[in-house]
Amino acid sequence: MKKKMLVLVIAFALVLSVTALVGCGTEEAATTGSTGVSSDIQKIKDAGVLKVGVKVDVPNFGYKDPKTNKIDGFEIDLARQLAKRILGDESKIQLEPVTAKTRGPLLDNGQLDVVIATFTIKPDRLLQWNFSDGYYTDEVGILVKKNSGIAGLKDLNGKKVGVAQGATTKDAIEAEIATQKLSIKPNYLEFASYPEINAALESGRIDAFSVDKSILTGYLSSDKVILAEGFAPQEYGIATKKGNDGITEECNTMLKEMTANGEMATLLKKWNLN
Amino acid sequence: MGPFSLQKWQASLSNVPMLIEGLGVTLIVSVTGLALAMIIGVVFGVLSSSHWKVARFFARIYVEFFQNTPLLIQVFLLYNALPLIAPKAVIPVTVIGIMGVGFYHGAYIAEVVRAGIQSIHHGQIEAALSQGFSYIQAMRHVIIPQALRVVLPPLTNQAVVLIKNTSILAVIAGGDLMYRGDSYAGNAGNYGPTYIVVGLLYFALCFPLAVLTKKLEDRAEVHGNA
Repeated sequence: MKKKMLVLVIAFALVLSVTALVGCGTEEAATTGSTGVSSDIQKIKDAGVLKVGVKVDVPNFGYKDPKTNKIDGFEIDLARQLAKRILGDESKIQLEPVTAKTRGPLLDNGQLDVVIATFTIKPDRLLQWNFSDGYYTDEVGILVKKNSGIAGLKDLNGKKVGVAQGATTKDAIEAEIATQKLSIKPNYLEFASYPEINAALESGRIDAFSVDKSILTGYLSSDKVILAEGFAPQEYGIATKKGNDGITEECNTMLKEMTANGEMATLLKKWNLN
Repeated sequence: MGPFSLQKWQASLSNVPMLIEGLGVTLIVSVTGLALAMIIGVVFGVLSSSHWKVARFFARIYVEFFQNTPLLIQVFLLYNALPLIAPKAVIPVTVIGIMGVGFYHGAYIAEVVRAGIQSIHHGQIEAALSQGFSYIQAMRHVIIPQALRVVLPPLTNQAVVLIKNTSILAVIAGGDLMYRGDSYAGNAGNYGPTYIVVGLLYFALCFPLAVLTKKLEDRAEVHGNA
């Protein structure tokens, strides 16, 4: 028995040290090969397909229509543009549904080349992933039941607020409370996905559902309302693995050109986002 | 920064106090849930092995329902569906956790108890009854003490599975160990070390019980009662 324990303890120590080692220095900066194409872009070219993480539950950004089973939206169009620039064919994309919680890990383990999924650019996130320049600015909003009597942030004292794990919402609300010098303390409950937060709101488990306004529009119904108040402007960027500088550069060039030639304005209009 | 870099390990470890808080919730739900599961298990186990048809029928319905539907659905029904049907029935999350694992494992423990009772030779109950014991008395003084040795190993095993299943609370914002770990991992983007630490904490709870199961199994075999 004692021997067995010892073996187990040693095995554990090994597992831990290996993971710690794997964690150090596995970041390969993209190097430019003899072809003049950076290695991260070359990888996509070799694969012949661009793997993009997108939202499937945010109308107008990334939304899977249950009737047609097709994923469409503003961010999907951006993904198509990116595929066209890298692979010369906008249909060469593989769309993978992500949530606020899964998108980071999926980039880290190489399952996705880029994530275009209402991903807010934040200083501490910049330490972990590459982000392009912002392509859309949104603000945090609050969705409540019409009969809840909640008219603004100030009414949230002691109320239960549902937020998404891995989202910036909680910090944004706290910062706004500090800015407005409100003496209120909401209780935050975290859920893994938006439909779960919505279900909790409908069943009365929470009093408010808070996330970026663009996302909230997908959960409007006759008995719910998005409060006019909005705060903490969120800038969405295209994210890729730390060190994939070639891809990030390509994204930035694309966004600049699309803004300059009016394509961006056209897209925003197409998806009612202006 | 890779997902397992040293900074991430440090950040994760500095977050351990919050995980310990979650561990507290997990322990409360585990212990109370196990107590509930034991009560349910013994009652329905005895009913399942009784010669009273109606009781057997109801016990079967209970056991089959809880054994053949996912715990996740049962918990979702309690959490979201119940308040929609009865707006007053908003059960606190911790209680839902206790009810969830209690009902679910109660069904499994009922099967363990039934198997234990049925492992005792039928002559034993007949002998007890012929001595003037009532059915309940025969159960209490003759059958159950003998059956206990047979059922203890699978019971401790159920306890292990029950502890692991309390992690279902993470899905309904239950504040348990898994929820705290998930919350920190998601919000800090620090999932590598965090999940390892959370896993180790669960392991620390379950492994001693698993060792106990093994010991009890060995003991039951020595006495040749398997």
